[in-house]
Amino acid sequence: LEHGFALHAAAKDCFSSLASQDAQTLPEKPRAVFYTSESDPAKHTGHHEGRHYSIPLEELKVVFPQGLPPRFQQQIKTFNEAFVMVRKPALELFTYLKSSNFAHPAVRYVIYGEKGTGKTMTLCHVVHFCARQGWLVLHVPDAHLWVKNCKELLQSSYNKDRLDQPLEASSWLKNFKTSNERFLKEIKTQKKYVWGKQESTEEGRPLGEVVEQGLTRVKNASDAVGVVLRELKQQSQLGSFRLLVAVDGVNALWGRTTLKKEDKSPVSPEELTLVYNLRKMMRNDWNGGAIVTTLSQTGSLFKPSSAYLPQELLGKEGFDALDPFVPIPVPNYSPREFESCYSYYLDRKWLQHEKAHTEDGKEELRVPGG
Amino acid sequence: HIPPRTERMAVDQDWSSVYPTAATFKPGSVPLPVRMGYPVKRGVPPAKEGNLELMKIPNFLHLTPPAIKKHCAALKDFCTEWPSALDSDEKCEQHFPIEIETIDYISSGTSIRNPKARVVTLRVKLSNLNLDDHAKKKLIKLVGERYCKDTDMLTITTDRCPLRRQNYDYGIHLLTVLYHESWKTETWESEKAEEDMEEYIWENSRSQKNALDTLIRIKASENVSNVTKEELLASEVVKDYRNSVVALKNEGETENNMSRYKESVKKLLNIQ
Repeated sequence: LEHGFALHAAAKDCFSSLASQDAQTLPEKPRAVFYTSESDPAKHTGHHEGRHYSIPLEELKVVFPQGLPPRFQQQIKTFNEAFVMVRKPALELFTYLKSSNFAHPAVRYVIYGEKGTGKTMTLCHVVHFCARQGWLVLHVPDAHLWVKNCKELLQSSYNKDRLDQPLEASSWLKNFKTSNERFLKEIKTQKKYVWGKQESTEEGRPLGEVVEQGLTRVKNASDAVGVVLRELKQQSQLGSFRLLVAVDGVNALWGRTTLKKEDKSPVSPEELTLVYNLRKMMRNDWNGGAIVTTLSQTGSLFKPSSAYLPQELLGKEGFDALDPFVPIPVPNYSPREFESCYSYYLDRKWLQHEKAHTEDGKEELRVPGG
Repeated sequence: HIPPRTERMAVDQDWSSVYPTAATFKPGSVPLPVRMGYPVKRGVPPAKEGNLELMKIPNFLHLTPPAIKKHCAALKDFCTEWPSALDSDEKCEQHFPIEIETIDYISSGTSIRNPKARVVTLRVKLSNLNLDDHAKKKLIKLVGERYCKDTDMLTITTDRCPLRRQNYDYGIHLLTVLYHESWKTETWESEKAEEDMEEYIWENSRSQKNALDTLIRIKASENVSNVTKEELLASEVVKDYRNSVVALKNEGETENNMSRYKESVKKLLNIQ
């Protein structure tokens, strides 16, 4: 009984497809089985499928200030390096992105799959690819955070019917600034924005100023986010940069919220400025980029835990809003991917149980409860 | 002490004389080594002698096949021949589409009346009624719970009148009224909204609008204008897309449906 328990604890880590390891242990097996030194996602092909590639930690801080799954972040801290497995859904997305026509309206891709199969990791892989290619990445790590557990709700000064969320907006702006510093200096605003009686941003100022405004005056943070989204959408069509809109848990935008107004009436998602503006980004009335999203049941509100298909999680409204989109299913590990992850964990000395090396141990890890 | 009757029973005895009517289980009359009950302390289920569990439950020892044969033989004198022309279920349904079900009750008591005997159930298959598309949908909406989609059967149960004849007449009247009302179209039926629709219709839906908008934008970016809506709707890719969306919405999501939808969207948006 004891053996089973210890192996299961390790199996849970393994099976949630967080394939990141560190590389400092003695190579017992030929590392080519699970490791590739190709660290540019653009060069990943079917040949690299099932292998792990590493992201340098400095790059990690810039590209992913937010957005990696929490388990993965723990793993990075433990192993002191980030290794991501190259899998088929991500490679498929790369072919589409590489061959997409940027004069056509932006295509929506929806990554879906059962719990713990690697949707968020696939999205992070795509974000890394686009960041390396020089795209401007608009990464919303978890849209569910914007529709629940909000400490402060202010009435929006721009539109009286809507509600602002200063804390969420300012934290997102901070992370956005970290990952896209150089773009914020280059992109210029196209019209004048008035924030208050004496504060305004003139036409032609760098977008970084709008972000600063949102960060210093937290009250205007949600409107600043709206301005940033609007500017990026309009300017990506001019062709000076490519825009990737990456949203995790996009089904939050069309679901229900757990927030309540002061008179205890429930808030519907479109009454939140952040959600309203993000929904506008999800439409395909702009070109010069792509929209990659994931559906997520964990963290979703009022959805049964067995739901994972697009229509179940998006609902009728969400499906109609995103239609036509390209669905990308993410399955559990294939036997080859499992082998790779297993050898990697062995290599990192993460599987400490003495029986983990044996065939029986491997079987037990592969099939939980079996 | 006298041994129980079971030891003196012949193997080919007439069982219906041992249990002619419903009676409790008598261990001395049933020659079977039956055990029933909870095995206490890793033991075995208790034997049949003095077994309250076996005595409590209803038993059907009086209804063995030979006993039933005797019942049928006795009832045969009161029956008429089944018409020889109706030898299959399909012929019965074709000539007599409406099935009426009534139940008669007999009990030993002071009165032969039973209030439950007035219940009449009418069953009819909608495919046997002359209904067009609108009439069928309206009828199903009117009857609600009484229609079963899997067997296409409408079941009307009436018991509001005191006599069986009256209930039967009322049931037939209900069927007639439903039939005629479903053929009529009221003025307010034109206000039927998308939520009231029974199945997904792609024409004039949000999905069609989205697809056409996207295609027009794609064509505009390639400097091809003056593409009419009808041309787009008649093209192969749009038809394929329409079929996959309809399948997805009507049949639910399966692996097959999702991959079909994916392929059709890829063709629509021209993605390799």
